[in-house]
Amino acid sequence: MTPELDRADRAAAVRAAARSWRRAGIIDDAAMAAVESGFPDDRARAGPVFRVLLFLFTVVAVSGLLGFLAMGLGGHEQALAALAAVAGAALLALTEFQVGALRRRQGGTEAATSLLGIGLLLAAAAWFLLAARSIEAAAGVPALCALAAALAGVAAWRWGYPLYAALGTAAALVALAHLPAGRAVWIALALAAAPALLHLSESPRLPPAHRSSAMAVLLVALGGLYLAVHLGSWDERIVERIGGRDPGPAPLALPYGSVLWWSAMAATALVPLLVLAAGLRRRRLPLLLAGTVAAVASLATFQQYLRLEPVWLVLTGAGALGIAVVLGLWRYLDSGPAGERGGFTAAPLLTDARRQAALEVGVAVLTLQPEARAAGDERPFEGGGGRSGGAGATGEF
Amino acid sequence: MNPDVVLAIPALVESGALPPAAAPRLLRMARGELVSVHAELRALLYAGVLLLMGGVGLLVRQNLDRIGPVAIATVLGLAAAAALAWVARVAPPFSWQEVASPNLAFDYILLLGILLVAADLAYCEVQLGLPASHREWHLLIVAGLAGLAAFRFDSRVVFSLSLSTFAAWRGVALADAWSGQGEGRSDSGWHIFRALGAAGAWRWNAIACGILFAGLGLGLAHWRRKAHFEPVAVHLGCLLALGGIAAGMDDPAWGAALLLAGAALAGVAYRTRRFPLFAYGVVAAYAGVTRLLAELFHDAALGCLWLAASSAMMIAGLLVVHRRMGRMKEPA
Repeated sequence: MTPELDRADRAAAVRAAARSWRRAGIIDDAAMAAVESGFPDDRARAGPVFRVLLFLFTVVAVSGLLGFLAMGLGGHEQALAALAAVAGAALLALTEFQVGALRRRQGGTEAATSLLGIGLLLAAAAWFLLAARSIEAAAGVPALCALAAALAGVAAWRWGYPLYAALGTAAALVALAHLPAGRAVWIALALAAAPALLHLSESPRLPPAHRSSAMAVLLVALGGLYLAVHLGSWDERIVERIGGRDPGPAPLALPYGSVLWWSAMAATALVPLLVLAAGLRRRRLPLLLAGTVAAVASLATFQQYLRLEPVWLVLTGAGALGIAVVLGLWRYLDSGPAGERGGFTAAPLLTDARRQAALEVGVAVLTLQPEARAAGDERPFEGGGGRSGGAGATGEF
Repeated sequence: MNPDVVLAIPALVESGALPPAAAPRLLRMARGELVSVHAELRALLYAGVLLLMGGVGLLVRQNLDRIGPVAIATVLGLAAAAALAWVARVAPPFSWQEVASPNLAFDYILLLGILLVAADLAYCEVQLGLPASHREWHLLIVAGLAGLAAFRFDSRVVFSLSLSTFAAWRGVALADAWSGQGEGRSDSGWHIFRALGAAGAWRWNAIACGILFAGLGLGLAHWRRKAHFEPVAVHLGCLLALGGIAAGMDDPAWGAALLLAGAALAGVAYRTRRFPLFAYGVVAAYAGVTRLLAELFHDAALGCLWLAASSAMMIAGLLVVHRRMGRMKEPA
């Protein structure tokens, strides 16, 4: 990442904070203007809606052009692979030009060209490695994953996209799963890298995008760790399957009640708790969310393995317990001095009401599925006003 | 945690841009020493309500014979009454304007109460032996109840439930008609189906629902009656109407309709600075014009060339529009 881009991102972070202060009424328009002149924006940016539109139309434009050129080349696979390689390299150069000379940031087009560039280079590499049989298929997949990890990693480092950092880490995990001790490597790497990644995600020396990338890598690594120690993953040999090995008659399946079975069961419970504890200790919301998701997955696993029944009671109990826990937490936080405890508060600090309203609209739209119910799907009873959500019915429109 | 803001705050206080009194709290937030979990608690409450309702649905279905209809209906009714009683107790007085929620759980307990009422109602309908042709009205009744509750208790979440349940009511009516179960019936779904055929009925229902929702939203905003409900109604309405039109694009005439509707929406949204609606309009208009031109392109290569050229023009046009909007630029 260039120093100019680093400076621009740091200034953007301050302006974003000032906008939230303005919405909360902490500063007035004059102060907002002073912040904007003190931390000026030298980048061409677009808001979220224009960004999505520009991204979309860039993808369509490039795809259309490539489709046209591909048809001109006929069905020659080698020529198509060469076209993908050349176009991929050109798109990455175009991204660099946009981010550098054109000073585009959060503009949609540069994200689209970078994504397409990486995708096309990987498609070309896949053809050369697999279809052209340059190497054995067993070695080709990890090589391709390693290349994907490298490309995504370089893109995340150069242009500051946390998504690429996450995807690159996931690709690296898939490549590592092909090693004989892939599962152990997943566990060891996550445990070894987690403290450093957590530190990097808070380091003032790193640009904001690199801090977010460090957090993205940490979350994917923790996901890998959870999958590697998860009881179901042992039984189904999920990591080995990802590593392309034939699971065969499941020799690794853990015998019920053995020490290893209970160890895996304990690890399935322990990892979410440790992640939650780290999130609470460092007051990091991404870790808290990851820990909560993992805890829900672990509870579902226990329900499956311990055969907790009846299901309706488990669901109703879990729902009621969840509501009770949230209400209890809310009361606990709210009753603390100044409405906070341990650095946490249930009050909506600097919440963007417009963003929250947009989220509610989004949930309403997502629950509205304009499909008619299949004929003859007559069910004896279906409670509720459709299946709700922040909105509602299954929308059998 | 935001180290750049931590560094900036003292300088902003010194320059007079930031009131000194506000600085300590903002610094704590920027350092990650004070974190709000408001949104996370709301999301967990929502998930809890969904889980609980899933369990209730299974309970009723699996234990119909064992527990008995009276017990189930009573338990559901009591649970719904408890939730709604709590809501009524803590609810602020009614106002046509936006009313601040009395607490974090308010919306979700109200949602739970409405869903329990709906489940109880549906269960009683089945127990009373109402035929399927009458059961579709269940959704309309629930939509009405949810709408009333949304207005009384000022809940956008329950308002969106009301709208989507209303749309589901139209869907159910049509699905019954589609499956032939409505033969000889006199309800709306059957009449529409007979007149228009299945696809046409679906499309016109979607368009009509969309126009109704958008009109409702605009009316609420115009008369300043719960004007903050307007975005939910207008967004759902526009998506339903455009989706309904797009569903007919096998016929080029519907492509033209989509072009006109999308262009009109984009124009109005541009003037009123409604960025998401502008996006719906632009995408719809582009899809419409592409559908029309597809009639001319019988060669796939030409089609690809059109997509490339037209998208490049769209990018250029969007950049111009974005620049013109200049100062009304949406927040990043």
